[in-house]
Amino acid sequence: MNNRMNILYVITAVFLLVLPFVYESRTLLILLTQVFIFAIFAMSYDILLGYTGIVSFGHAMFFGIGAYTIGVFMKQFEPTIPYFLLAVLVTIVLTAIVSFVLGLLTLRLKSHFYAMLTLAFSGLFLVLAEKWRTVTYGNDGFTFRIPDLFKDRTDFYLICLVTMIVVFAILRRFTSSPLGRVLQAIRENEQRTESLGYSILHYKVIASVISGVMAGLAGLLYSMSLRFVNTSVFTMDITLDALLMTIIGGVGTLVGAIIGAGLIEFAHHWLTELAKVHWIFERWIIFFGIIYILAVMFFPMGIVGTLKKIKLNRTKKEEKKAEEKIAS
Amino acid sequence: MDVLINLSLNGLATGMLIFLLAAGLTLIFGLMDVLNFAHGGLFAWGAYSGTWIYATTGSFLIAIAGAILTGLILGLLTERWIIKPVYGNHVQQILITLGLMLVLSELLKVVWGPNQISASPPSYLAGSWELGNVIIIKYRVFIIAVGILVFGLVQYILKNTKIGLIVRAGVMDKEMVQALGINIQKVFMLVFMIGAGMAALGGAMLGPYSGVIYAEMGLEFAILAFIVVVIGGMGSFPGSILAAILVGVSGSFMAYYVPSLSLAVNMLLMAVVLIFRPQGLFGLKG
Repeated sequence: MNNRMNILYVITAVFLLVLPFVYESRTLLILLTQVFIFAIFAMSYDILLGYTGIVSFGHAMFFGIGAYTIGVFMKQFEPTIPYFLLAVLVTIVLTAIVSFVLGLLTLRLKSHFYAMLTLAFSGLFLVLAEKWRTVTYGNDGFTFRIPDLFKDRTDFYLICLVTMIVVFAILRRFTSSPLGRVLQAIRENEQRTESLGYSILHYKVIASVISGVMAGLAGLLYSMSLRFVNTSVFTMDITLDALLMTIIGGVGTLVGAIIGAGLIEFAHHWLTELAKVHWIFERWIIFFGIIYILAVMFFPMGIVGTLKKIKLNRTKKEEKKAEEKIAS
Repeated sequence: MDVLINLSLNGLATGMLIFLLAAGLTLIFGLMDVLNFAHGGLFAWGAYSGTWIYATTGSFLIAIAGAILTGLILGLLTERWIIKPVYGNHVQQILITLGLMLVLSELLKVVWGPNQISASPPSYLAGSWELGNVIIIKYRVFIIAVGILVFGLVQYILKNTKIGLIVRAGVMDKEMVQALGINIQKVFMLVFMIGAGMAALGGAMLGPYSGVIYAEMGLEFAILAFIVVVIGGMGSFPGSILAAILVGVSGSFMAYYVPSLSLAVNMLLMAVVLIFRPQGLFGLKG
């Protein structure tokens, strides 16, 4: 069973790797690049929501930190590889510090506090990006050049794809490690995990830092793909994207986040096109919002989660049948 | 001196508006253990419906009443359809109320268009008084008076009536209240509606105060209200008014003296409270 899934992953990965050489479409290439970047972002969110059971409403803050760090480095210094690497390092350090402090402040309290405080803090970052005009150029944002290595769209597509696969592999390894198991235990039953002797706060902070750093890297790739950054990377919309992707795809399953990212990005693309047909499609967020509410209410496990459940039920039934046979 | 008085009045008025939003949040949280992320959406709906009714009927009183009614109805529907199905599951509650917030503010744009709408106070509240060389804007005094009135009324209901007794008992131990034969579901509904009504009232009064209304202001004020709820203490009604005044006044002074730091100060205040007194200044629950 697990082997079959692995084969499926490899086939999909190879297909996506070959795709740009077989089928030439600039729009599709750019769209898929976006999907990969948001898949990284959604997976990082899944570590929090799906694996640890923490709700964050300020995930855009880490995304934005990454997006602005690369922008500022490429603009203020030179667009070369050493500065790129430095920007990656700075992103990792900054997001780690912010998520560490936030986690330490609020994760010992009820889940509401983390949701609230992250919402408030991402608001603070948005204001900071708007006000700190000498560096961020305010609301208008700024364009920047990127190192030659990343200039080609196909190359950048491959880089994003490989990054996504690497992040997926790392996070999958992480979630099935003893540490990841403890996180899932916290999600299932906090008191029991604590009474088993685990320091909940420690584990939650670790999850928050890992998730924050990954989100920062996604943001870095995002603004590199646009070669432009403005305050929109800090807005609620980005957080909502992550929420929708993880919930529709399936919480607690990293693949779900990737599938969700694909679905949302494509739906986004189509609905924007449809806006020319009827004005109601300009307000496409409303459709997403309604789908999201219905998903939380009736479909809380998402696509992948529901598929897994169906499969589990089927194997259980078969086992039962086999047992009955033996018994009779 | 006149600057100081004006800044204090301004801060008090903003504080009262935040209080109207935060009071509902804190009461709902205290009683139902639900943190309603859609509260800002109800606030914005109050603002839009109030402004719209004022523009069509020309009567400010009807506008205020209409806005409160909108809030009550939306509160009823929200409690019935959105909160009740996911009752008891914190993660789902947080997620679903945020979704509702999004839908509410997008619906505003569908109904009234995505642009800002200007709003003005009625003639008898426009203008200002002059006391010596201090100019006092009438509308601000009106907001402060309404805020104090609402606070007094709710405080009276909580302390001196049977329903208030049930609510206070429910905050402490809702299973026990239920065991005593009181239909707590009905109380939940009522408190949620009143909270929503207060938020809508706050929104309706904000319109003429700031001059323009827009769909995103719901979220902006909701963030301030969250800060207030954290500082004042989750579930503490008197805490919410004191913290709201604190946030309002510090915001108005900082906006005048150090404009770039005005939001940061509130955040800092919240961080300090969270470190040293995580249950809030007046909170009972952690």
